[in-house]
Amino acid sequence: MIRFVLRRVLTAIPIGFIVTLGVFALVFAMPGDPLRELAGDKPIPAAVLAAKRAQFHLDQPFIVQYLLSMKDIFTGNFGTTFAGADIAAQLRLRIPVTLKLTLLANAFQWTLGLLFGIYAGFRRNGLVDRSLLLVTLVLLAVPGLVAYFAAQYVFAVELKWFPVSGVLQGFPHSYLLPALVIGLLGFAGLARLMRTSIVETVNADFVKTARAKGLGEQRVLWKHILPNALLPVVTFIGLDLAGMFGGAIITESIFNLPGLGQFMFQAIKLKEGGVVVLLSTLAFVSFILINLAVDVLYGILDPRVRHV
Amino acid sequence: MRRVTGVLGATLGLALVLGACGDGNGSSSGDSGGGGAKSAVIAIAADPLEFINPLNENGSPGIQIAQAVFAPLVATDPNTGKTVNVLADSVTPDKASRTWTIKLKPGNSFQNGQPLTAKDYVDSWNLTAQGSTAWKNNGFFSKVEGYEALNPPTPDGATPKPTSVKTLSGLKQIDDLTFSVKLKVPFSQFGLTLQYLGLAPLPEEVRKDPDAYKREPIGNGPFKLDGAWNPGDDIKLVKWDGYKGPNPPEADALTYRFIPNADTAYNEFLAGTVDFVDVPSTKIKTFKDDAPDQWVTSESSGANYLVLPAWDSRYKNPKLRHAFSLAIDRKSLSDLVGLATPSSGLIAPDINGYRENACKYCSFDAAKAKQLLQEAGGFSGPVNINYSTTSATGQIFAEAIGNMLRQNLGVEVKYTGKQGSEITELADTRKLDGLRFGGWGHDYPSIEDYLTPMFKSTGDANFSGYSNPELDKKLAEGDAEPNQDKAIKLYQQAEDIALEDMPLIPLYAKQNAYLHSAKIEPRVSKYTGVQALYSTFK
Repeated sequence: MIRFVLRRVLTAIPIGFIVTLGVFALVFAMPGDPLRELAGDKPIPAAVLAAKRAQFHLDQPFIVQYLLSMKDIFTGNFGTTFAGADIAAQLRLRIPVTLKLTLLANAFQWTLGLLFGIYAGFRRNGLVDRSLLLVTLVLLAVPGLVAYFAAQYVFAVELKWFPVSGVLQGFPHSYLLPALVIGLLGFAGLARLMRTSIVETVNADFVKTARAKGLGEQRVLWKHILPNALLPVVTFIGLDLAGMFGGAIITESIFNLPGLGQFMFQAIKLKEGGVVVLLSTLAFVSFILINLAVDVLYGILDPRVRHV
Repeated sequence: MRRVTGVLGATLGLALVLGACGDGNGSSSGDSGGGGAKSAVIAIAADPLEFINPLNENGSPGIQIAQAVFAPLVATDPNTGKTVNVLADSVTPDKASRTWTIKLKPGNSFQNGQPLTAKDYVDSWNLTAQGSTAWKNNGFFSKVEGYEALNPPTPDGATPKPTSVKTLSGLKQIDDLTFSVKLKVPFSQFGLTLQYLGLAPLPEEVRKDPDAYKREPIGNGPFKLDGAWNPGDDIKLVKWDGYKGPNPPEADALTYRFIPNADTAYNEFLAGTVDFVDVPSTKIKTFKDDAPDQWVTSESSGANYLVLPAWDSRYKNPKLRHAFSLAIDRKSLSDLVGLATPSSGLIAPDINGYRENACKYCSFDAAKAKQLLQEAGGFSGPVNINYSTTSATGQIFAEAIGNMLRQNLGVEVKYTGKQGSEITELADTRKLDGLRFGGWGHDYPSIEDYLTPMFKSTGDANFSGYSNPELDKKLAEGDAEPNQDKAIKLYQQAEDIALEDMPLIPLYAKQNAYLHSAKIEPRVSKYTGVQALYSTFK
């Protein structure tokens, strides 16, 4: 087990290097001068431009800029953004916002997805199953942008059940509406996967054997079918959760939640390689860790893939 | 199986409880401004500010906050359009309009109690004029004598040599309340430029360590920060009693809330949680129905142009430029833009010296356009129209212009989408192929602030790379003319040259629209636009 974890962490290091370098190169390759972008159409005096370039290492060659950014990340010396924001303060503000939003949204998504999926799987072709098929089809077809603005208009502006945007009302109030919409839009995939997985498992030979042995229906369901049917679902959930540090750019923008997604968006807009790499590193590390946790959990659910 | 049903029922119940609990909340509006009797929440559709320092700020959100926290030397009177003194007691040029003496009113101070003196201006301006400080309003001081010593001219891309010079030789303190500014060349409009909020001084303790005061500014204006302002917070301001300037705002407290998504900000207004909001371009067609009797509009003092490249000889013939201009149906284009007025010249209508029919080629006349193009010998190759991909409407407007040129002139048209900053960079290095859009709004209300930036050979916003010594000469004459009426006459002659050469084709002036709650009435002025800061309360 420890060897497995160690091996995974060690392989993550070169991958992390390649990923961050790639992201940095992409930002670097974006057309246009970042400092000009900041100034709009107003001209910047050469002296100011030069001082800013030096401050943000923009006068250095590409690879030096990358290494300096990495050094800043590892020494915890984050500095400020082009717009003058203290990056450490921004992270302290934004990480909790993103965590609250994604965890609440995932809670909605998993609850709905698992319950509907399991029920529909067992009661195949029943009323719930058929309506689930239809509802998930509709949900999968709705673009997020439309759903977010529609929900905001109906439930916040017209009905006033929720705040329109911002985090002034704190957790969970300010997060409920966006999390519910994310959860509703996202549960469709999970519910369908869960349903199919159950249907497949119900007809598997080992389930028939269990029934033939005379085991009770409840025992077959909880001990034999569910653990096996959950395997692909755990992978799905793990990937979902692992992506959370990427932030939800569109949701955060529409509901004005100051999370990592908006920060990433601002940084990309201004071509701030350093900030983009910092956020990518954060996302990458959390991705590796959560994936690792999922793999360990996998072993618990399925002894065949247990890592000794 | 029954168990599963039971859990399902519980979840539905949970959803209902959640819905119900949302019901109790949300209806309590957030417009409790800061406790004052007359308070308002103003939404700003922009990324949150990270510092308040007028000298390092040239964007609209930052200047808006600076207007509340700081005070300018002079200001435009919203009723008459005339320049009135705020912190200045007098602003006097010498005979040549080259050395300007500024005398401050006695008895003003900063919000930390430090008296406001001439030294604060001189030292704050010197600090900004140093290139190494890297503040955005550095460029303002390029007109002042000694600027080059602080900012040694360097070829593009090279690192400037460090300099030990820390003060502008043209900036002199005379006594506690008087200082003088000596300019490199005469400039009759300099007095008007002093109303720029980006020139507001910082007190001594801030000048010593500006970074320490990024989030706790010490101003000298009608409002001060109310409590701590942490990242992610609204900017909460309360009235500061020490402000003695003319016409103070009526509000006791103001909250500025940053909502980067303009549609979200608009929805916040509809939900009744903010008192003032800009109408985003997506709501131009609906805002009058969304908020009846709660909207105001104003002409924006800026204009939008089509920029012709002076470095491409195919566009050189003025007749061809006139043909392009006459082929554009500005009325339809303005309708497409939404809230916009077709331009009939280069100057905004609220500016002293504006002439209604100064432009002979700004009407729509397809027949004459065709004839002029023929006289100019036609156009070879396709006309390339560049548009910014970062603008939601860039491509739509480009295609509208392109269709008009194609239909009315029979020229071939193609379109190129690029990032805004990339277009600027290509144009700066004279490598851009074809037309692009440009816009300019004045920093101070003078006809000169349209002509110099856009048409002077060395102008800051001379996007077309245009240069005409005749025009430069007229501008210099206007700059040297102390009599304002005579100066305007000279500037108008420069404008006539620009209209005849037509390096830019005027298109439209946008109008701004705003929504305001029933409890406030924002100040609307022909000269200063719509200002939430100066709202009256009901």
